[in-house]
Amino acid sequence: MYSPTFVDLKEVPNVDLAIVEGGVRTKEDENLIREVRAKSRILVALGICATHGGITSLGNIFSLRKLLEKEYSLVEKTQLPELEDLMYSICNFVDVDYYIPGCPPMPFLIVHTLKSIVSGKQPLRHQSVVCTECHRKIIPAKLDRLYGIYEKESDPQLCLVSQGFVCLGSLTREGCGAPCPRAGFTCFGCRGPPDSMMYRSRDMYAFLIRVIASRTGIAPETVKEELYRNPFIFHTFIFSKFERSKAREKVI
Amino acid sequence: MSSKREITISPTTRIEGHGKVTITLDEAGNVSNAYFYATEIRGFDYFLRGMEADRLPFIISRICGVCSTAHIIASVEAIESIYHTEITETARKLRELLLMGQTISNHSLVIYFLTLPDFYFPIEEDPSKRNIFQIMRERPDIGRKAITLRSFGARILDVIGKREVHIFSVIPGGLISPLQERERVGLLQEAENALAVAKEALTLGKELFEKNWNDFKKAGDYKTYYMALTRNDALEFYNSKIRVINPEGTTTSEFAAQDYMEFLEEKRYAWTYAKFAYLKALGWPEGIVQVGSTARMNVNATATTEIANRELQEFKKKFGSPAHATLLFDYARLIDLIYACEKAQELLTDKNLTRTDTRVKVEPKGGIGVGVVEAPRGTLAHEYTLTEEGKLEQMKLVIPTQINNEAINLNVKDAATEFIHNGEIKPGLLNRIEMVIRAYDPCIKCATRQANGRVQVEIRNSRGKLLKTL
Repeated sequence: MYSPTFVDLKEVPNVDLAIVEGGVRTKEDENLIREVRAKSRILVALGICATHGGITSLGNIFSLRKLLEKEYSLVEKTQLPELEDLMYSICNFVDVDYYIPGCPPMPFLIVHTLKSIVSGKQPLRHQSVVCTECHRKIIPAKLDRLYGIYEKESDPQLCLVSQGFVCLGSLTREGCGAPCPRAGFTCFGCRGPPDSMMYRSRDMYAFLIRVIASRTGIAPETVKEELYRNPFIFHTFIFSKFERSKAREKVI
Repeated sequence: MSSKREITISPTTRIEGHGKVTITLDEAGNVSNAYFYATEIRGFDYFLRGMEADRLPFIISRICGVCSTAHIIASVEAIESIYHTEITETARKLRELLLMGQTISNHSLVIYFLTLPDFYFPIEEDPSKRNIFQIMRERPDIGRKAITLRSFGARILDVIGKREVHIFSVIPGGLISPLQERERVGLLQEAENALAVAKEALTLGKELFEKNWNDFKKAGDYKTYYMALTRNDALEFYNSKIRVINPEGTTTSEFAAQDYMEFLEEKRYAWTYAKFAYLKALGWPEGIVQVGSTARMNVNATATTEIANRELQEFKKKFGSPAHATLLFDYARLIDLIYACEKAQELLTDKNLTRTDTRVKVEPKGGIGVGVVEAPRGTLAHEYTLTEEGKLEQMKLVIPTQINNEAINLNVKDAATEFIHNGEIKPGLLNRIEMVIRAYDPCIKCATRQANGRVQVEIRNSRGKLLKTL
C-alpha cells in the first residue's frame, strides 16, 4: 500500500487498484501519475481535482506560470519540480477506469464503487442532473434581475433558479443527493457535467442561459450579460482541461 | 568525486501536502545545512482576483480539505469586517461550535492516524507496519476510538455546516439556517461519548509520552516567540484578541484581528514554494514565532473548561511555561482535543443555540478587512481588499505552516546533526526527521495553496550531486 499521508512506504508498488486524488500541476505529479498507471490494474480518479481539474483549474484563467515567474523569480528550478503550463486533470496523461467527481466526493459513492469493483460488477452510474435529486419545485417566475447567494433569504420549497439565484444544478451530474440546494445554497457544479453534456459538444453557457431565462422570466440577453460578466461561476466547466470524450461511460 | 554529500527524504510521509527534506553534508561528512521544502504550488492568491465576494468563502475553503472550516470562517469574518456586519450571538456560538468540530476531527486524525504510530512502535519497526492500520490490527479498540472521535467532529460539521467536508453554511451575515432542537439533542448525546473517548486518548497519549520522554526531549528545543488567540488569559479559538509572548513568557504585544497584518511580515527563499512569516517589529530572524497547540498552551494561563484547565496546569508544571520542546506539540494537541470536546458539550447544553436569529442582512461595500481564527495548526488570517463593486482586488493569507516554517527547518537541521557524524548515518534518522516535522502537523497544501499530499529526504554533496534518497 502506497499512501504518503498514512503509510511510510516511499515507493509505489504494483497494485490491483489505485485511487488517485488531486490534479497535475508539476512535472513531478505527471511522472508520478504515469508510474501509478503503469503499476496498477484499475485506476480510480477520486474528487473533482483528479477527475476534472476542480477549483485549482481556476489557475488556468491566465498563465499562472508567468505570474509565478515574477513572484517566485527566486525559486531555483533545479531544486523544485517544474510547473506544468496549466493545471490538468489526470485523464490528460493516463487512461482512467472510473471517475468519482465531487468536492468532496460523497462517501457512499466511494463505498459503492469500490464494492462493485471488488465483486466484479459495474458500479451504478449517475447520468442525469442534480435537479432530479432536489426537492424544490420549479415554478416559472417573473423577476427583474438575478440575485447573489447572500442577498436575500431563500424560500425553502421553491427552485433556487426560480428565485433568481444562479444555481448550477441543471448543468451538474447527479449522485450527490443535492445537499447544497436542499440546504438553501446554490449548486456550484462540483460533480462536473452529466452524460448529456459529454456526448455532444454542447454549449453550456447557452444551455444555462435558456434554463435561467425560462425559470426567472428574465430576458435571455440580460441573463447572458450577467453571466458573461462573471466567469468564476462556471469554473468547473470552462477552465478545466477535462477530456470529455475519454470519460464517457466511466463517470460514477 | 567531491566528499560533500546530500541526503533526501522524499516523499515525507504522514503529513498533509507534498514535502521534501534535503540535508547537505560538508567535506568531513557532517551536516552543513538542512531544508524542509514544499514541492507544490497552486496560486490561490492570484487566480481568485476578480471573484465576487459572495463566492469567495466557499471557494477559498477548498484550499484544504482538512481545515476548510477554519478557512471559510476566517474568510467570512474578513468580509464581514469590510461590510461592518455585526452577527448575532446565536451565529457566533454556532461558528464557535463548528470550529470545535473542526478541531476534533482534525486532531483525532493527526493524533491517531499520523503521529500515534511514531509513539506506539519502536523506532526500528518495519516502515510498512508503522501506520494506523497495523495498530488497528493489534488493538481494534484504538481504531474504534479513533473513528468515534473523528465521526463526532464530522457530525458537527455535517449537521451545522451541512456537509462533512467543505461546509458551506457559514455566510456573510451569519449562518444559512438555524440548528433544530432534535439535532442539538442528538449532538449533545454524541458529545458525552466523545469526551469519554478523548479522555482515554489523553491517558494513552500521556502514557506513551512518559515512556519516551527522555528520547523526545532531545528532538529540538527552540526558544522562540509564540502567538495565539486569547480571551481573559484563557484558551480561545474564535473572535478574540491575538497575543504574542517572548521566549521568557512575557506578553510583548496584544492586538485585534484588524491589525494583524501590521504585526506579521512574510519572506521568501529560493528553495521552497512556501513563504515564511515572522514578527515585523523584530525583523528576521529574531522575529521567528511559533503557532499551534504548544503556542496556545504557552500564551494562555488557563482554560475555561474543567479537565482542559487541569491538564493545562499539569502541562505547565511539567514542562515549564513557556514550554519549548518540539514534540510537546503532540502532547498539547491532546489538551486541545479535550478542550474542544468539553467546549462543544458546553455549547450544545445551551438551549439558546437553537434560536432562529442566525442571520442578519449585509450591506456590501468596498474596503480592506481581516479575519482571524485559531485553526487546528495555529493562528490563521485572511486579509481581503474588495472593490466598490464587491470584487476581490487583492488577498493575503497568513497560514500557520508559513509561520512555523522556519522552526520546522531548524528542527530538521538539529535532528540531522544528531544522527549524522563524519559521513555515517545512524539508523532512525528518517523517522526522527519526520517526527519533528509531524509535530508541527504542517499543511503544505495551505502554505502553498496547492493540491495533494506527500514529503521526500535527499542527501546531496557540496556540488549538489544527489547521493542518496531515503
